This record gives sequence, structure tokens and C-alpha cells, in this order.
Amino acid sequence: MAFWNKDSAPNEEQVLGVLKKVLDPDLHKDIVSLGFIRNLKIDGSTVYFDLNLTTPACPVRDQMRDQAIALVKSLPGVENVEVKMTSEVRQAPQMDRTALKGVRNLIAVGSGKGGVGKSTIAVNIAASLGAAGARVGLLDADIYGPTTPIMLGIETAPKSIGNRIVPQQASGLKFMSMGLLVKTDQPLIWRGPMATKALQQCLFDVDWGELDYLVIDLPPGTGDVHLTLAQSIPLTGAVIVSTPQDVGLRISMKTLRMFQQTRVPILGIVENMSYYICPHCDSKDHIFGHGGGARAATELGIPFLGEVPLDLAIRTQSDIGSPIVIAQPEAASSRMLREIAEKVAAQVSIRAFEAPVLEVE
Amino acid sequence: MPLDQRATTPTKIKKVSPSELMIIWADGHESHLPSPVLRRECPCASCRDEMTGARILLPMHVPDDLEIRKVQLVGQYALQFEWADGHHTGIFAFEYLRELCPCDECRKKAK
Repeated sequence: MAFWNKDSAPNEEQVLGVLKKVLDPDLHKDIVSLGFIRNLKIDGSTVYFDLNLTTPACPVRDQMRDQAIALVKSLPGVENVEVKMTSEVRQAPQMDRTALKGVRNLIAVGSGKGGVGKSTIAVNIAASLGAAGARVGLLDADIYGPTTPIMLGIETAPKSIGNRIVPQQASGLKFMSMGLLVKTDQPLIWRGPMATKALQQCLFDVDWGELDYLVIDLPPGTGDVHLTLAQSIPLTGAVIVSTPQDVGLRISMKTLRMFQQTRVPILGIVENMSYYICPHCDSKDHIFGHGGGARAATELGIPFLGEVPLDLAIRTQSDIGSPIVIAQPEAASSRMLREIAEKVAAQVSIRAFEAPVLEVE
Repeated sequence: MPLDQRATTPTKIKKVSPSELMIIWADGHESHLPSPVLRRECPCASCRDEMTGARILLPMHVPDDLEIRKVQLVGQYALQFEWADGHHTGIFAFEYLRELCPCDECRKKAK
């Protein structure tokens, strides 16, 4: 190393000093205090470090990286900055970790009523997180009308090893659905206790392995399955899917209250079927009204995660078993769905940092 | 966390002995709940009438030395106990547990 380089290159302290100016906009702390900087190395005029985020689906990842590079470059003696982007999804600080211990975060997706596109949103959130590099599972807990097998294109029963069920794999996800255990045209005519038992099997008897996120697609409304879920696993949070009309009619409010009563944090509202884009003239039609989701979110003080249009492509991709975010990642609707998934991931990270830790002895 | 939730959010739950449960709340308050008190206030449908809330289990039927065998979390909003008399169906929401705090300060507020 040249003598003059050694003299003018900054030390670690100086590098960390400028990096402290980069704030994570969600966690409201600087990236040094958050422990995001790893493997810092200064070699002559080149500074190397890893930026280890809380999720691979971080919505502000590029912004934070660019800011960090610019700041370090502004130091005298620095010519190159090499940043490796890494991520490590934090374990939600949970009370009971005995069940599902390989799963770091449990995200429930619910709705006030059926037919709002809850499963479509759940599948695309899960697939987006998976595509970003996270290890993701999807559990279709809608025992009465399971649709994820169709949306993911796998309708055969999963294998089991011993008394453990091996989840199916599709679109980068591990997935399990009650729809896989019964014949497609067979209805499930079950009373509550049966539904409860089936859900518990899907959760605890399936070999989920190590997962960053397990997305759980709930049945519509508030019932046995929801209560069982709220009582048997520590949900990291819930996403509420609604249509503008459903928000107007305050139906999704009931689901929201249920989660609040059982202390499941609300990660936010997604407004689905927000508008319709005419395939002939590209004009936007707000068939079910407009802006209800965002308004409700502001009123209730919960995050608004985004709106998804009524888009023919989302429907056709779902029907042929290949989610739009995977099949047509550049489509406008895919971008919106991906942004929603990123906001969900950001909210989950916020919970992991903010939630108080409970010790039970 | 919203301020009003701090009083009903536990940060530590400890079975100090078979006859006492301790809870430290996010607002710093510490509750010491005796086992028989919890058992007498069990909110389950076989101890309290579901519709009227009237007591079905009378306090005198719970011996003062009744012990807690097991404490279990219910999701992230409640606790469930199993007592030495075998009863285990009550789900005690955190709000309810805070209401049951027997300390002078909390008793005064309750009045």
C-alpha cells in the first residue's frame, strides 16, 4: 500500500461517523445504531461494507444504499465504495416460540367479507417476498373455499414423511392448503371443532422448516378459524384486504376490531378492486367508489398499504396457476403488488424492533 | 405502543410460587395475583353465567391454598391457568388481569 494512501484514508470511526447520517425511514434510527453495517473494511482508498437490512423486500433499500455510498465517498481519501446488500429477517419478539419455531414472522391476511380478492393478494404478497429473496410459506387457511391450489397451479395432495406433511412448492413458495387434502369438487361440511383441528394440523403438522415469513390466507369474516389462529400462534401482524365499497359499508372494520381485541398488530389495509382500467380505451373507472381505503386507514391510524386495480391480467394469471408478480413482473399491477409486499415487510420489521419483549417464567 | 395500552401490556409474567403469579406491565406497575383470587374470578362460562355475568362458582368454594399448576399464553392477548382442582377453561385477557390487580393503588382506582 502506498504511503500517502495510508495517511489520507479514513479510519473505521470516520466511516461509521458519516454512515450514522443515514436513517432508516421506517425504524427512525440510523443504520449504524441499528447494526446494519457489517464487515467494514478499508483498503487504501476503497471502503467495503455489507448493508444488512431487515428484509430483502425493503422498499427503501436503493435509497439507503445510494445515500450511504455518497456519504462515504465524500470523505477525503475515499475513491471507491463497495457495498454488498444483504438481509436478515428478524425474528418477531414473540411470546410463545415453542410452536412453529423455524418461522420468524407470521402474517395473516384477512377480510371482512368474501370475494374481495383476499387470496389473490395473499398469494401475490407471498410470491413477491419470495422473489425478493426471502424464504416464504403460504398457508391457505380458508378451509371452506380454498383457492390457492388453483392460483399456484398445484392441486395434488402433499406427501408425508412419518406423521409430518411435506408442503408443496410452487412459484418459489412452500404452500399448504386444505384444498389439497380433499377432492376439488368436494365441499367441506364441518362444524367448528373440525375446522379448528384441520387448521392446527396445517400449522403444526406441516414441515415448514426455516421461513422468514409465513403468510396465512384466512377465511372471510370472523369465526372459528380466526379465533383458533389468534389463540394458538403469536401472529406478527395482520393485513386487511377490502374493496372501496366494503370499506364504505364498514364491513372490514369488524375484522379489524377482532384483531385488535386479540392484540394482533394491524400491518395495514390493502384496497383491492380500486378501479377498473378499460382494456379498449385505458380509461380508469372507480366502479366501487374511490379513496375509501386510504381514508379509513388515516381515520384508524393504521398504514395504508396500497391499491390494486381490477385487472384482467391478475385474474387470468391466477386462473392458470402462475401469480402475476412472477409471470409478468414488469406489469403495472405487479409493481403495485410488489410495493404492497414491500410495505408489509417494512411493517413487520418495525414490529420486530418496537414490540416489547415478554418474558414468561 | 399507544399510551393507554401500556397498563394492559405485560412485559414479564412469572409464576413466583404455586400460589402467586407476578406480572410486570409496560407502564412499570407490578401486580401480585394470588392463585385463589384468580380462580374465584375465573371468567369462563362454567364459573360465570355467560349472559348475566352472575357468579356460578362461589368464592367460598375455592380453598385459600389452591395452587396454580400451569400458566399458558393464549396467542398474545391472554393467559390460561390450570389449577390444582383441574379447572382450566378460563381465558384471562390482559385487560382483565390488570383489573384484578389487588394492590391498594389499583383498588382505589377501581372504586
